[in-house]
Amino acid sequence: MKKRYGRSFDNIQEIVSDTEWFFAEEHIDDSLRMKVDLSVEELFVNMVNYNTETDQDILIEMRCIESGIEVSLTDFDVERFDPTLAAEVDIDAPLSERTPGGLGLYLVLKMADSIHYQYKDRKSKITFTNSVQESD
Amino acid sequence: MFEIEFKESGEVAVSGRLDAAQAARAQEVLDGVDGRCVLDMSALEYISSAGLGVLLRTHKRLMGGEEGLELINVNKHIADIFRYSGFDKLFVIKTI
Repeated sequence: MKKRYGRSFDNIQEIVSDTEWFFAEEHIDDSLRMKVDLSVEELFVNMVNYNTETDQDILIEMRCIESGIEVSLTDFDVERFDPTLAAEVDIDAPLSERTPGGLGLYLVLKMADSIHYQYKDRKSKITFTNSVQESD
Repeated sequence: MFEIEFKESGEVAVSGRLDAAQAARAQEVLDGVDGRCVLDMSALEYISSAGLGVLLRTHKRLMGGEEGLELINVNKHIADIFRYSGFDKLFVIKTI
């Protein structure tokens, strides 16, 4: 699957529907859906919120890999921002010190089996994989 | 589709998908809650960091009055998200 989405949270539902279709079409294990939905949303929202210098659509690509899925999100004509370098979140901090900021990318990094960032010609591309593990 | 409503029991029920597109609506409703609040998540299918932010902001506000948000009927997938986020140490959580 390869499709572009406008830079609006209103498009999250369409992304979810397309992901559901792709999982069904390719017979991908549904136990991966929550992780994939969450990572796609967090990365898409991050691009919409922080790459404000562009109005180009965001490209989402999905393909099957052994026992799972590989997903890429590409943002065009933007500055470099590597989500894999996102700051750690102290999940043991007391309530008074906890803030919502940073949790999204932290969760992506926790949930992905692998994650890779590329930046070239002002194109920012993040690719992650999720596979069914033997322990799942 | 996301829904949030007050039940006759006084609990607040959420259902569907609490994502970045729905977080503002959830926050608006929960901003109107005072005192101890029980959030029934039995029909909640999905939550992202935007939804976690809603829960965290509401919990911190209610804890200021020494009350708080209690999360009940949490499914396994969402319980995993809470555990990854450290929310299992911040909230009273009852799983299904």
